[in-house]
Amino acid sequence: MGGETSEAPTADEEFEERTLTDILDPRGFGWLTRLGLFGLLLLAVLPALQGYGFLGIVVNSTLLANITGAMFFAVFAMSWDMQSGYTGEISFGHGLFFGVGGYASAILQAQMGLDLLVTIPLGMFAAGIAGLLIGFPSLRLQGPYFSLITLVTPIIIIGLFRFAPDVTGGATGLFTETLTTGAVEGYVVALALFLGALVLFLAITRSDAGIVLTAIREDELAVEAAGLNPAKFKLFSFVLSGLVGGLAGALFVHTYAGGFVAPSDLLALVVSIEVIIASIIGGIGTITGAAIGGLFLFLFRVYIAQVDLTVPVIGVPIGEIYFLLFTVVTLVVLFFIPEGVITRILVRTRQRAAAREEEDGGGGGGGPDLATDGGWTEGEPSNLERIVATFTEQLRAVLPGFGDDP
Amino acid sequence: MSTDTPTSTETPADLDETDAGTESYGPDDGVLVADGITKRFGGLVAVDDLSFAVEKQEILGFIGPNGAGKSTTFNCITGVYPPSEGTVYYNGRDVTGSEFYEMVQNGMARTFQEFRPLEDRSVVDNVQISLVPDRLFSTSGLRGQTRARAVEICERVGLGERLRQLPDELPHADMIRLELARAMATDPDLLLVDEPFAGLADEDITELSDLLRTLRDQGTTFIVVDHNMRGLLQLIDRAIVINFGEKIADGTPEEITDDPAVRKAYLGSED
Repeated sequence: MGGETSEAPTADEEFEERTLTDILDPRGFGWLTRLGLFGLLLLAVLPALQGYGFLGIVVNSTLLANITGAMFFAVFAMSWDMQSGYTGEISFGHGLFFGVGGYASAILQAQMGLDLLVTIPLGMFAAGIAGLLIGFPSLRLQGPYFSLITLVTPIIIIGLFRFAPDVTGGATGLFTETLTTGAVEGYVVALALFLGALVLFLAITRSDAGIVLTAIREDELAVEAAGLNPAKFKLFSFVLSGLVGGLAGALFVHTYAGGFVAPSDLLALVVSIEVIIASIIGGIGTITGAAIGGLFLFLFRVYIAQVDLTVPVIGVPIGEIYFLLFTVVTLVVLFFIPEGVITRILVRTRQRAAAREEEDGGGGGGGPDLATDGGWTEGEPSNLERIVATFTEQLRAVLPGFGDDP
Repeated sequence: MSTDTPTSTETPADLDETDAGTESYGPDDGVLVADGITKRFGGLVAVDDLSFAVEKQEILGFIGPNGAGKSTTFNCITGVYPPSEGTVYYNGRDVTGSEFYEMVQNGMARTFQEFRPLEDRSVVDNVQISLVPDRLFSTSGLRGQTRARAVEICERVGLGERLRQLPDELPHADMIRLELARAMATDPDLLLVDEPFAGLADEDITELSDLLRTLRDQGTTFIVVDHNMRGLLQLIDRAIVINFGEKIADGTPEEITDDPAVRKAYLGSED
């Protein structure tokens, strides 16, 4: 899903005005974008290939169900990246949005008997309102307060659910209706959501909003100096992220989860953390990285849990320690590719294109959206490093003893 | 100093009855009017009852030793933080306490003494951010409309050869040019320039001064801050000298260099 052009336009071309049709012309796409589009096409036709097998993978309802779950998880990850990856205001509790969306829809259906076609949009808006309620006060503050608030809010919600187990199902969960029957229908719903979210997020981050959001990640005062209101853009990305996350949560509950909503699926801290890990592995601040990272991480977790092997020395089956293995693999990826897999591929491709152009006597480097799609130059700090550096700086500013304030 | 602006020591000042002794300005005394600006940080008074007015198309020098309150005054005027007391009028309107980005949208831009480039993007992308409209949905950058304008501004300040470079590759003089280019790209009527000449070679100072004069002739008003008078006195029409947050002199470059208070507070120690 390399949703960007990989070739660097020459200096002359670049300053010409382009119409939207020019930008969307497939003939201008680089091979990465074409590969991504081919991947999307493959996802779209997969249900029609049931019964066929290639490379030892048989397309059956189990595979479809797994990919359904993976696409939901990828949307969760993209919604995190849209907000935290782009603005640098790290949310440690994005599970709140998935949970509010899923629970609002489930409770409205189970307790009030509303139709799912009504409750799912309501779940989405509930998550958007949650984003507004949390984001409006906290995104105006400089410093780590936003992160801390997002960290505790899902925990508070889980706690509140315990007080009304009749309504919420408490710690165990709540049964509600399903939207779909069968693996293919659920797959189609997830695919539509996945494509919709991907296109929406790509359109926003590759437009001017992407320029502003990444600039906020870099320096808010510099954004204000450009006559732009950072609070507006931060709140926009947070609420948008909440709306999409909430919709994904609601659809997840009524399709993949089989009409069952539980705190551990959506609201738990581990969900919020996994979403962050998926985005980091794919490449923060790229959207496409979060999509691929999310798909990969979910399927990896599912399949490693099924591996029927025992770890030699300690004699533990892999299925039992899969989460440990999963985190170890994550750390290894982080160690060797700290900027994320997609970012690395993008940068390598660009460098090659730039080198080729230099040979041809052309000037110039990457396209104008270099920063907004996670463009990164070798030797420069990656998006992740920048975000972490800012975050530790902010923490240092509020922790006594480390203060650099006068 | 050839200008169309008054070079008298005192701009027309209506004396405020309640504040007899200190001068006071009304909203229409200039394009930018600061009236009784005071800024306190805890017990520290950084700016104390400072009043001044800037005429249209004037280049006003804002001079004072380090720690005199120059940047604090700038921050109060541009809305980075509000003044504790006092009023700021811009184009005759009371704009005290407006947000910084609102002031920029109203046509007041500034540069920063401690440079604030966006380290993650090239010089031209840094300038382009100032051309992006403050709207959530806009594709002007994507379609290359703002691109040509950003390149033009870069060329104007002398960064034409450095469009693709990252800010941390730039020498000091070019960082100042980048700051200026980003401010110019917001299309300001009033531009506050913080320490433009610090660390510059003489030919860079001349070049930068020429650019500022050209922009002034095209209609921009300037306030130029510097703690060092080198280069500044040739550029400005009029200067205000502050020390310990208070105005100690106001006049043409000749007048302030002859002012005994200025010599005592400033020149004696600095030159």
